[in-house]
Amino acid sequence: MAKHRGRGFATIEYPTGMNQNGDPSQAWIKLKPDGRVDVFSGTVDIGQGSKTVHTQIVADTLGVPYDWVTMDNTNTDSSAVCTGTFASRGTFIGGNAVRLAAERVRERILDIASRELEVDASDLEITDGEVVAKGAPQKKIGVADVAGAATYNYGELISGSSTALKPFADVDDATGQVEIEPHSAISYAACVAEVEVDDETGEVVVLKMTQVYDVGRAINPTLVEGQIEGGAVMGLGLGLLESSYPYYPSAEHRGGQFGSYLGPAFTDLPELDNVIIENPSEDGPFGAKAIGEMANNAQPPAIANAIHDAVGVWITEMPATPDRVLAALAAKKEPRRNGKWVIHDEDISVAAVSSNNGEGFYGVEP
Amino acid sequence: MKAVGARLPRYDGIGHVTGRTQYVDDVRVGKTLWVKALRSPHHRARIVSLDVSKAEAVKGVHAVITHADVPKNVYGHLEGLGVPADEPLLAEDDVRYKGQPIVAVAAESEAAAYAAIEAIAVEFEELEPLFDMRKALDAEAPQIHQWGNVYPHYGPYNHRRVRKGDIDRAFDKADVVVQGVYRPQAIEQMPLETQVCLAVPEASGRLTIYSCTQAMYFSMGVVAAHLQVPLNKLKFVGGTVGGGFGGKVDTATDTICALLALKSRRPVKWRWTREEEMLASSTRAPWHIELQDAVTKDGWILGRRTLTLHDAGAYARFSPYGVTKHAFHHSGAYTIPNLRFDGFVVFTNRVPTTAMRGFGVTSVSFAVETHLNRVAEAIGIDPWELRLKNANRIGDTSGNGVVLKDPSTVPVTLAAAERVGVELPGSYRAMTSDPRTGELLPEHLVAQQKLNGEGAS
Repeated sequence: MAKHRGRGFATIEYPTGMNQNGDPSQAWIKLKPDGRVDVFSGTVDIGQGSKTVHTQIVADTLGVPYDWVTMDNTNTDSSAVCTGTFASRGTFIGGNAVRLAAERVRERILDIASRELEVDASDLEITDGEVVAKGAPQKKIGVADVAGAATYNYGELISGSSTALKPFADVDDATGQVEIEPHSAISYAACVAEVEVDDETGEVVVLKMTQVYDVGRAINPTLVEGQIEGGAVMGLGLGLLESSYPYYPSAEHRGGQFGSYLGPAFTDLPELDNVIIENPSEDGPFGAKAIGEMANNAQPPAIANAIHDAVGVWITEMPATPDRVLAALAAKKEPRRNGKWVIHDEDISVAAVSSNNGEGFYGVEP
Repeated sequence: MKAVGARLPRYDGIGHVTGRTQYVDDVRVGKTLWVKALRSPHHRARIVSLDVSKAEAVKGVHAVITHADVPKNVYGHLEGLGVPADEPLLAEDDVRYKGQPIVAVAAESEAAAYAAIEAIAVEFEELEPLFDMRKALDAEAPQIHQWGNVYPHYGPYNHRRVRKGDIDRAFDKADVVVQGVYRPQAIEQMPLETQVCLAVPEASGRLTIYSCTQAMYFSMGVVAAHLQVPLNKLKFVGGTVGGGFGGKVDTATDTICALLALKSRRPVKWRWTREEEMLASSTRAPWHIELQDAVTKDGWILGRRTLTLHDAGAYARFSPYGVTKHAFHHSGAYTIPNLRFDGFVVFTNRVPTTAMRGFGVTSVSFAVETHLNRVAEAIGIDPWELRLKNANRIGDTSGNGVVLKDPSTVPVTLAAAERVGVELPGSYRAMTSDPRTGELLPEHLVAQQKLNGEGAS
């Protein structure tokens, strides 16, 4: 009886935006008379930090300080359509909505600044809240003064709105093939898990996870790391601990309280090493791709592979609970070999459990 | 200072950690009534009789609603995407999962609301439930859904299909075929903030709905459809959610609160207990995935056959969407030119399953990545090298026919290997995402490259 260490890894990909697209996000922006920026978008912040990320995108698109920007995502009267916070679409699609709206606002600022400075708008740029003539930095006017002039001299509300929308991608039901990309981008990640398996108790402890994520561009690296680490803990829960149906497929004996459901806790937290790679997307705001959902996908297989590396058994029914690990160690199952076929897990297949060899599932037209 | 790329503090972080952020349950409106629901105690049953008259007579009760009070009781979350409706807001003739709402009441106190629920007279005839997806199409399986036990509306098919290349030839040419079964489980969403809604009837005749939805416009559309009112009758207030993960895309509380607020003409609040959140709210789906990979001795994946069963629970909700997404990503971060995939949405008598972080793909990532290590073991190749060889390259075609522009399988895999000190041969360390040439463009991948070339010209 001993503890065994093992290492496993997994590489994954995940799409940004709703599958098959057709999921608009809209935003509109107005300037106060002192140039401060009000952004109205319907993107719900479920804790991932989309309000922060959107603020950063607007600040840099306009060329104004971050703390000039206020986000209002509080209601459907003042905000336009956002399809929702799901499908890893907040930074990319919600972010493109506020970016495109900010570009329109930037054009209005430059137009009015052009009149005030008597310089062609194409020769102006905005940095740190000031509109400056390119190559003649003494010729400048604050965005605050531009907004004031718009309000009180020109009778204009500087505002802009936009929609980020990729058209719906039809799928051929016979072949599953599409004509146009059914996503906004694809992100990639790899996770290496190091585990210790106790062959007497069946307990698995994850010691360390090393994780690499390509997010295109990390608009806010701290929030990206938050997703990586939060996702790692959810992935650990999936891989080792959690189940709504402890005697699945039975629906009995469900845990109805935190105390009767084994979610990950701080005591389960392994050492985490995070690496961010930036391979920019063509269409994302500042090159960003999604990270939100994929962050709990690589750990369960990395853990399963690490368990195999440690003690030589495959755990293919999640989670890898102590009883499953002990049962696998006791059974020491080998795959059945039939010619060139290497066949695992026959006893849990549809063919084995169904009373008609799974005819309804296997026997569909080719 | 540039904001993009900066480690700026969270916009709402101080409010969250000092308890000053206002969540739905923090909103206080005078004369608010409490909502409770009668839920099915059975996994599957016929409702023989239902009488709410004694509940209506309980002191402090202002409104009781059943399916008869809902202008459009059966409305589908994905009707806009062509998925027909199958789920009643409040049960009509039968119940199909334990916890399914049948009656909702609004009363002056939680105690009065509970007393009203107790006073409802309801009689059930229990029916045999179905829980094991693998038995759903057996002749003797109970028929638990009006569409049959699998979702039948993928065009003319009862399953989502992928057919790419020549799968039989790939299996003929393979040196080794590896088969395995993978069963990712259901888990709870476990938000700290349980499902909660406050609906306030305004003097103007509008309804203000304080919602914990992850998707205000989506939920507003769902409520408007059930109530059969235009969008200007509703105002959703939200945007700040105490944990979503996918479970708050389902519109669980808003519609019932809206109906009770209209009927009682009082603000109503429904705050699910922890037990309701964990037993009656939607979970991640259980999946059953059977993979067969046709491979060569030197580690090329020629083809993959896949059978996926997805447990939708009692109603469709977002499951047809989830299986399509699953199908689109079932070759993982790798290029496999020959594919045959059949994915079924299977109905069971569980709480309906729904979107949860990684929807449709978490399951297949587990299956594919565990399976690849079995493939590596079967042919005696290093699992890092197996993945790097078959990794997506620029110009490769994905399982659904998309030519990849900017894949990163190679850089993330190499970076992970380097970070943990895995020693790879120089030819692997030098790999990039560049288009395939030479040894990385074997015969079985030439055909798809040619196709791409023709498509581009």
